[in-house]
Amino acid sequence: MFNSLIKFSCRIFVIVLVFSLSSQKNTNAQSQTISVGIRLQKSINFYLENGFSVYYNSDKILSDKILFGIHYVSSRLGSAINSNAIKQDRFFFNAFYIMRSKKKLNILTGIDLGYFHADYEEPVFDDLQNQSLLLALEAGIRYNIIKRLSVNSTLGYNFITGDGTDGAGTLYPMYFQISLLCNFQK
Amino acid sequence: MQLSKIIPFVLISIFTVLLSCGEPDITPDMIDGEVIFDASLYDPEAYLVSYSNPNPTIEEAEIPVIIVSHGYSASTFEWNEFREWNDSNPEILISQVLLSGHGRTYEDFKNTNWQDWSASILEEYDRLVMSGYKNIHFAGSSTSSTLILDIVNSGYFNDKIVPGNIFLIDPIIIPSSKSLSLVGIIGPMLGYIEADNTLDEDKYWYHFRPEETLRELMKLMNVVRKDLQSGILLPSGCALKVYKSKRDPTADPAGAILIYKGLRNANGDPIEIEMIDSDLHVFTRLSLRAGIVQKDVINQQNTFEDMLNRILN
Repeated sequence: MFNSLIKFSCRIFVIVLVFSLSSQKNTNAQSQTISVGIRLQKSINFYLENGFSVYYNSDKILSDKILFGIHYVSSRLGSAINSNAIKQDRFFFNAFYIMRSKKKLNILTGIDLGYFHADYEEPVFDDLQNQSLLLALEAGIRYNIIKRLSVNSTLGYNFITGDGTDGAGTLYPMYFQISLLCNFQK
Repeated sequence: MQLSKIIPFVLISIFTVLLSCGEPDITPDMIDGEVIFDASLYDPEAYLVSYSNPNPTIEEAEIPVIIVSHGYSASTFEWNEFREWNDSNPEILISQVLLSGHGRTYEDFKNTNWQDWSASILEEYDRLVMSGYKNIHFAGSSTSSTLILDIVNSGYFNDKIVPGNIFLIDPIIIPSSKSLSLVGIIGPMLGYIEADNTLDEDKYWYHFRPEETLRELMKLMNVVRKDLQSGILLPSGCALKVYKSKRDPTADPAGAILIYKGLRNANGDPIEIEMIDSDLHVFTRLSLRAGIVQKDVINQQNTFEDMLNRILN
């Protein structure tokens, strides 16, 4: 299952790379960037949850030092493919402060806020909490491979997790993510 | 501050934290020490059917035997109430297994892995089978439930005597304390964690839990969780029921969902599960607990009776 996901990711990577190389323009002084891509996320000692990300940053906001993101990841696109894993979804926003923003390698530190939902399916589990607020800190790096293509990788820590008596039980604290992004500038 | 100046500071800090891990302050009143040991080590005949009656008659070999085993860091004490409850019942025998490394010293505990814990359950099963017992059942609390799921998945009962019933009391697949998932990162810095036991509980449950054993527990949960994701099928002729507290400070109730989704009867039907209105971990053990209410007693008695009825019917 994981191998097929890797193959799928590689294909997306090649498509994005070809698209990026073919559409590169020699432009200066870009003011806004929208980045779109895939996000592979793994909770430490728990599920693989994959999905999509969109980022936005602009010269007009703190001289390009703030990066906004919106994300959807789900075990439906990870551990729950062809398995009995619980189907769970995360929808969240984040804001990063970018250090070394004019360099190829940027350092990111940010905060996530969002919503988590798990589908327990059976009525016998109706009394168990299956949703939660997401509040996390993330830090990591972004590498701008070429103007049209970047990759970022961060380590996140969820402050809200289930504790057996309260909260969603399948929400784990620490996760690692890697995203491959195609950048559109204007 | 430049990165080159930060890195040595971080490394020195980590090194200092690592060095600061002291030895646990074990007292003679704790099972962790070298004075108190699990009673089954002194008198195995009183706990294990394979020792008390190794040569059963044909009639005795047909009597149901339940192999009961305890959770991580616990001891045979965890199932004493079930044995006492059943003492007046000659229709059923109870074999109380002490998991390897448990009920002994802190160092003994530290030097075992989850496969060692599992081996203790299988050793009693093998001894019973060798002695000729034919009506064997299992009941596991907490970590023992997880070990039993791994044993089932391994195909250990293929071409052997299949257990008639398996009862899982508060199985742990997902820890309630999610920081346990980080034990591989923070464990070496901590060395051990301290349990919030009462003085009496310290005689039956380890007060200090070595990070090595916590990592083993996490490994076991990961192995069984992944097995459940792939799907586990019970052997033909074996029934399984899960009893799970709805609010459990040790084994997250969400773990019951993973078992329900991942485990099937031999014919493909779902297994039975009962979510218990309880705040206790291993709700069948009430002895030495403070603040027990009538509901807890009813939960315990109903579960014991349900287990017995399923074996006898």
